[in-house]
Amino acid sequence: MLSSFTATELFEAIESDDDFVLLDVRNEDDYSNFSVEGPNEIEMLNIPYFDFIENPESSVEKVPSGKPLRIVCAKEGSSEFVASVMTEFGRENVSHLEGGIISWGNVLVSKRVNSEDNSYEMWQFNRPGKASCSYGIVYEGEMFLFDPSRNLEFYQQFAESRGAEISHTFETHLQADYISGSPLIAEATGATFVAHDGDYSSGIHEYRSIIDGESFEFSNEGGPSTLCTHSPGHTPGSTSYVIDEKFLISGDTVFLVSVGRPDLGKQVVEWAKTLYATLKERITILPDSLIVLPGHYTDWSIEADSEMRIMNNFGSVKEYNEQIYGIDDVDEFVSYIQSNMREQPEIYDQIRKVNSGHLTPCNDEQNVMDLGKNECAASSHN
Amino acid sequence: MVKKMKEHNDELDCSGMNCPLPILKTKMKIDTMDNGDVLRVIATDPGACNDMPAWTSRVGHELVESCEEGDKFVFYIRKGE
Repeated sequence: MLSSFTATELFEAIESDDDFVLLDVRNEDDYSNFSVEGPNEIEMLNIPYFDFIENPESSVEKVPSGKPLRIVCAKEGSSEFVASVMTEFGRENVSHLEGGIISWGNVLVSKRVNSEDNSYEMWQFNRPGKASCSYGIVYEGEMFLFDPSRNLEFYQQFAESRGAEISHTFETHLQADYISGSPLIAEATGATFVAHDGDYSSGIHEYRSIIDGESFEFSNEGGPSTLCTHSPGHTPGSTSYVIDEKFLISGDTVFLVSVGRPDLGKQVVEWAKTLYATLKERITILPDSLIVLPGHYTDWSIEADSEMRIMNNFGSVKEYNEQIYGIDDVDEFVSYIQSNMREQPEIYDQIRKVNSGHLTPCNDEQNVMDLGKNECAASSHN
Repeated sequence: MVKKMKEHNDELDCSGMNCPLPILKTKMKIDTMDNGDVLRVIATDPGACNDMPAWTSRVGHELVESCEEGDKFVFYIRKGE
């Protein structure tokens, strides 16, 4: 009987730096477009499954022996096939990923952000396949969600495990790099979908429109407040949420490394100027003690803390990104943005249309569209 | 419009099969054919669209043409040396 592992188990193995070899048997193009990444380095190689069909013996020999072997493919069938070939050639401790690379792309890892003596729970849901984070706040049987992905089952099970019901699902902005789960979650749970007109008014989803400066409260008294701060630039409707005067759910406005790129809407100069004003007038005035909880990250080794949470206080974030926050001239800022610009993946236009409700591909197509790391930061780290 | 089918020596229907079966069956079939012969392969797994070109170029067959016919993917593969 062939053994298998889940995407969550794969993440845990990477996180605890287990000694194993990861064999990706997809074709070379698919592999180079997107592969498994995590908080530690992985000993990984790519040998397409059809090499194991053509030349099983020489292909098996290319795989280092003596370590547990974990095999990944697109959907599961080919990794199972290669596992059986490896086993026929006497290899032991061979297993394959359940659900293939798509299950890796969708997997969410939950980490508690605040300490257990708080009256509420703040959670980070890290999606390593996308290098993105969504968030949840649980207070007395009620849960607020922020920027959820399409993994409805995960969020529902998580809420249930905390004895909570999802009452609100907030978007920080209209995402271009992944398909938002908010419409799906609102429909399945009856939660209120909260978003800003600047991004969503031309869409077809029903939502509760954000008023800048307003605060959302939990039904029971004494919960953390959710203060909405309009922070346009990355998109016109970008909104950051200050939670309990302690946390900043910053979406794609503030990252731990860099800021959200304002060129995705193709009006680079105008949006860059807007972002500059946002940073100067609305963001840098926030207290240094706020813990920044960003929508994305690019490098675990720089951005994760010792518990593998993507978070840091705003003072340190500003210091680290002095190159950006230190700019005191709008034109200089625009030049900085322009000099760091790069192509955006073609699929972003399509994803935006899905998120605004103008395009509704079937589930399989959405899975494919939703695979791949984000390209949302204004600069790659240098 | 009736589309004229390209000339081919043999045909393989992999409809309904998922990876690795379309490539596995294609390899088994093509092994029985002569060099230079063309095999027409029909598949429904979208994964075949990336894998078929990658496999043929890797093993030295020629992917003469690939197209979509309705909800099916059709490949014409000329057996290499």
